[in-house]
Amino acid sequence: MQNRKVLIYNQEKCTGCRSCMMGCSLFHDGECGKVLSRVAVVRNEALGESFVVGCDLCTDAPCASVCPTGACSYDPALGITKINQDRCIGCKECAMACPFGAINMSYKTGKAFKCDLCEGRSEGPVCADWCPSNAITYAQPTVAFKAKRREKLIERLKAVKAEEED
Amino acid sequence: MYGWCGQRLRVDLSKGTIIKEPLSYEYRRKWIGGRGMNSEVIYREVPPNLDPFDPDARVCFGVGPISGTAAPASGRVTVSCKSPLTGGFGDSNMGGHWGAELKYAGYDQIIVQGRAPKPVYIWIDDDNVEIRDARHLWGKFPREADAMIKQELGDEDIHIVVIGPAGENLVRFASTFNDVYRAAGRTGHGAVIGSKNLKAIAVRGSGTVKIARPKEFFDVCNRLRQKFKTDPMRKFLYEIGSLSLINVANHDGWLSVNNFKQGAHPEAWRMSGEEHSKTVLKHREGCFACPICCGRFTEIKEGKYAGEYGGGPEYEHSVPTGPRVGVFDPNAIWHNMILTNNYGMDGIETGGVIATAMEWYEKGLITSKDTGGLELTWGNQEVVEKLITMIAMREGFGDVLADGASRAADRLGLGDEGHKYTIATRGMTLPGDDPRGLGFAYGVGFAIGTRGGCDHLRCLASLELSGFMYPGLNTKILGDERPVKPTTTVGKGYCCFYEENQKAMVDCLNVCCFTTHWSYAVLTADQVDYFNAVTGMDITEEEFMEIGERIVNLERAYWARLLSGKREDTIPERFQKEPMPKSVDGQTNVGYVFPVEKILPGYYKYRDYDPDTGFPSERRLKMLGLEDVAKDLAPLRAKYNSESEKKKKKYYY
Repeated sequence: MQNRKVLIYNQEKCTGCRSCMMGCSLFHDGECGKVLSRVAVVRNEALGESFVVGCDLCTDAPCASVCPTGACSYDPALGITKINQDRCIGCKECAMACPFGAINMSYKTGKAFKCDLCEGRSEGPVCADWCPSNAITYAQPTVAFKAKRREKLIERLKAVKAEEED
Repeated sequence: MYGWCGQRLRVDLSKGTIIKEPLSYEYRRKWIGGRGMNSEVIYREVPPNLDPFDPDARVCFGVGPISGTAAPASGRVTVSCKSPLTGGFGDSNMGGHWGAELKYAGYDQIIVQGRAPKPVYIWIDDDNVEIRDARHLWGKFPREADAMIKQELGDEDIHIVVIGPAGENLVRFASTFNDVYRAAGRTGHGAVIGSKNLKAIAVRGSGTVKIARPKEFFDVCNRLRQKFKTDPMRKFLYEIGSLSLINVANHDGWLSVNNFKQGAHPEAWRMSGEEHSKTVLKHREGCFACPICCGRFTEIKEGKYAGEYGGGPEYEHSVPTGPRVGVFDPNAIWHNMILTNNYGMDGIETGGVIATAMEWYEKGLITSKDTGGLELTWGNQEVVEKLITMIAMREGFGDVLADGASRAADRLGLGDEGHKYTIATRGMTLPGDDPRGLGFAYGVGFAIGTRGGCDHLRCLASLELSGFMYPGLNTKILGDERPVKPTTTVGKGYCCFYEENQKAMVDCLNVCCFTTHWSYAVLTADQVDYFNAVTGMDITEEEFMEIGERIVNLERAYWARLLSGKREDTIPERFQKEPMPKSVDGQTNVGYVFPVEKILPGYYKYRDYDPDTGFPSERRLKMLGLEDVAKDLAPLRAKYNSESEKKKKKYYY
């Protein structure tokens, strides 16, 4: 359980290229378009900022708790909420409830769709696989958090050292 | 329909009409998209003698069948027009996300014609297209105009093409921008757009690009993206951007220093990508679907310019307003870049004209009387800075330079002596690479480029530039490994022919040539693979390259109609006669000259150009399905070689 891989978004690394969105829509829907992507990139061009938004794999997921039909529910085996397309009535409650805006409505079916970690793809989710800057990684949380901790610590120590040298 | 949207938009600003024209299968098959379709429109609809600023002139924005898909770096847009700078055929392309958005809105191309009575912008919201008032946007920097339009339309996620004040003031090398900082820099279409009183084109698309064979397409894309993870070129471009070339250029001696008088400088390392990343890099940026992400975002932290920020730098943009004018202070260079971006003009040409003027000044052809008191000495950043603004606003001496180096030479009455220092071919100054060291095939590109002198992305002869990183590649493509040496004449004719056709196709698909033929992760065969998978066609590699050849020939024919041919296929005297001086220790190209006339005959042979005119031959034009073009050129062949024509010296058209 502890070692099941999760998606981790490193906002400071996102270049805003939308490779993830293209991979996502092509893999799942066989079309390319921002409107069919489960992951989204928000760009602020004037300031050169980009942010990547996707399912953060909540355990106590707001999307599942607000779903009136039980279409959206947490799958403990996968560790992610899934939307049962047969039961979804397209009410958009989950899309509004998601704190990250990671749920979208399909223009084809009128129903909600969301990340499924590219279920069945042996290399893991396409978005993480294709991300050129490692802004999205698919990793074991304990390992990823440990690495992050070390990275931040080294950064801080380096800065202190540089200051001392000055 | 797969790949294409199957329609284009024709906006007539004089009449205020908006027409959607369907694009037939035959048309799409023949011209593919982007540069191909644009060139076709320019050739048919813009007569060669028309003033580029005439309301009847066209400006085209084209995207390709691959645009807006998962194919690597598929978001580019080609902007084409009759260039006000060269007077000939002109196009340029830009990255960003606008191209993809246009596809999602459902269009393969936009043609703008006519002239609006007052400033306007075009708002494309899927099927709904309207022409809106832009009087309040006139005079604004791209950054401001972008923000104002987004606020006005109530959507921060739309993508906008916009021109800056330079375009409005008809500076002959004004550029077009999208996503604020992604510029289609060269050939001056920003001024053509400005002459039409058009400020911007905002797009929102909610559609998708349909894929004929999705599974196959996914596998191709996946394969290519895995390849990029280990591509040696990609690593440099991502980590330190295209400024990673500075130290290489400075070592090999092909950096443009003081208007190409030198090829290196001991101070150049200060503006290298390595230094930039350590000091002022705020963020790395990626254009649409790009696996490389060479884009930078800079924030100046120290000195006089502290607090300024903006997209860039990029090698070709920063060298002309830096080393080429003798400026080596990195913060000053970033400042010049931000300034040219704000005014919305081509950094290469801006640096080019200022460097040319500096050399005129040095040689005594002009004095401070001509310049309005400005001391145009090498490295005088204060003057460079002032001149950038003066050019953009067409004030004083800046007004003269705003017409481009070649026209300025004539306006100042400098004669042939003046033209000697313009370092331009067909009226456009060259970018910041010296063919004496960089590569001979690349240099031939300057002579034969179908958009005039600048051909750093047209005949980007990467087989010699980055070939050494990919052993065996030259043999695979050219059948010979020897052309991998940049400074040899062996095999360069065919290398040029091949690369030019290849780049034409890249611009038709509208993918980025950094992903296709610079880093060699995506070879021609791979491009055919994804093209076929997306469109459902089954064309072969030969057919694919033939389309590229058709486009190059059509553009060449446009020049031929202006009576520009073999005699104009040359490069500035400096590269042919002045041996490269030594400027730094270990410089590898000391004493080199560039023997362009040794390579051109070989190139002509592959192109099948007439040996006496340099025009595309009738035989080849017919073979490429351009019978009507052959008919257009028939009477011009004799005319080009008439005595009166031979005497003319053409620096621009």
